[in-house]
Amino acid sequence: MTWYMGIDIGSAFSKGMIVKDTEPVCFHILRSGINYRTTANLIRQELLSRVNLSQNDISDTVATGSGANNVDFAGRKVSDIICTARGMNSLYPQVRTIIDAAGQSTKLILIDSHGRVTSFVVSEKCAAGSGWFIEVIANVLRVDLNEFSQLSRLSKNPVAFSTSCAVFGESEAISRVAEGIPKEDIAAGVNKTTANKISSLSKKISLEEPCTICGGGALNTGLVQAIELELKIKLLLPPQPQTLSCLGAAVIARTSSS
Amino acid sequence: MYFAGVDIGSTMTKVVIISDKGDPISIVKGPTGPEHRSLASEVMNVGLTQANLQLNEINYIVATGYGRFNVPFSDRQITELSCHAAGVHNLFPDAKTVIDIGGQDAKCMKIENGKLGDFVMNDKCAAGTGRFLEVIASALGIKVEDLGAISSKSTRDIQISNICTIFAQQEVVSRLSEGESLENILAGLHTALASRVVALAERLSIEPSVVLTGGVAKNTGIVRAMKEKIGHDIRVPEEPLITGALGAALMARRHVLDAIKNNTPVVTSQRRLDKTTLLYGEH
Repeated sequence: MTWYMGIDIGSAFSKGMIVKDTEPVCFHILRSGINYRTTANLIRQELLSRVNLSQNDISDTVATGSGANNVDFAGRKVSDIICTARGMNSLYPQVRTIIDAAGQSTKLILIDSHGRVTSFVVSEKCAAGSGWFIEVIANVLRVDLNEFSQLSRLSKNPVAFSTSCAVFGESEAISRVAEGIPKEDIAAGVNKTTANKISSLSKKISLEEPCTICGGGALNTGLVQAIELELKIKLLLPPQPQTLSCLGAAVIARTSSS
Repeated sequence: MYFAGVDIGSTMTKVVIISDKGDPISIVKGPTGPEHRSLASEVMNVGLTQANLQLNEINYIVATGYGRFNVPFSDRQITELSCHAAGVHNLFPDAKTVIDIGGQDAKCMKIENGKLGDFVMNDKCAAGTGRFLEVIASALGIKVEDLGAISSKSTRDIQISNICTIFAQQEVVSRLSEGESLENILAGLHTALASRVVALAERLSIEPSVVLTGGVAKNTGIVRAMKEKIGHDIRVPEEPLITGALGAALMARRHVLDAIKNNTPVVTSQRRLDKTTLLYGEH
């Protein structure tokens, strides 16, 4: 039996996974916090203790994400776009387009049947449309992401936001709360604005179905629904949408050492 | 005769009352308030007291700014673009370009024959507006009014690579933790804001003389950075916040003088000096 590890240190959350041969065995997710090195080590310890192994039992580790440099115990680093593509391909080989709704960026990735990236677009210059924006508004509404998502699906009348700027959007949300607009309409409005932003990004690339969504944004089912409505497509929703890139990293660790 | 201009901005409300010669006899500024509730009436009351006048002694009142529809005692509403152009032209008759950096927007206006010509504006993105500095100053626990003085002690140029206010704020925090000095970081932020505003203004031709207005013009660090980016001198009114309200008052005066000349009646509205709430969707 051979074990491999993938670690993804993202801007908001860090994720780790161990695979045995080709099968995912366990995963762990933590907030990235301010010290990425500590976070990476905590994830490793947790993963190893769950399968009752030591670091020496792990044949290879691949690190990815914006904080990949902080994973001292990784054999090498691979870009998160490539890892997400490989992870998704190992789960759903038929998928051709991935929407990655992450904490500080949004990516659209086109892949072939081998999980190779054929094209991608990234939006990372602006907090509009990012998971960060949704977290801020959830804070304004005093709900957690889960409640935010459920609230948004109840709305029949989403609030229209005049800008997609995260800073102005926060003030707008506060004003709407003060006016007594129901929380669900504000949450749905934010999801709609975010879906619009993703839709305008998709115009730079030709989406191919089947299409899937991953990243923390995929946990927000209200957002998933809004994107489906906006792009007029059905999105395949993986069971643990935050773990695709660390799964991919572990898969790459296995492939490159065999 | 007396005329008044009321400018309801996103952050500050300004009132200017002028005499029939066009000289300001009362200038008042007050915060617009966090819930966008109009404080226009309160600010106007202070202005009237200062000028020792009653509301019905003002012949004509023009409201401007993004909250202009919420002034229950104004006779007419005119966009802040026209009012800024009129106000700046009055203070600097040779001004050709006005750059106004407000609390939530930035605009560049050309003045042609004393009136508003072409203009560009940004109110969709916080980067390049006063809000950019407010967000970062509050994250650093610094007062916005101190930013200019602190940045003047910078020892080297640093570049803030993020445009987005949110990402720039995170960049600033990580730069500080890397040991960069606050002075240098603030100077870098001023350069970043100036680049963004100048890029907007360059969609028009920036002809001298250039006048910088709006609350952000009080920040000496921004004025310095703007001069560097534009490549020539910039003038700042003694009170850069009130050019819109001054322009509104001047337009009120022009309206009445024109009516007298053409022998047409001056119609004023039913003025109410009470508090109301901002009517959303009307601006």
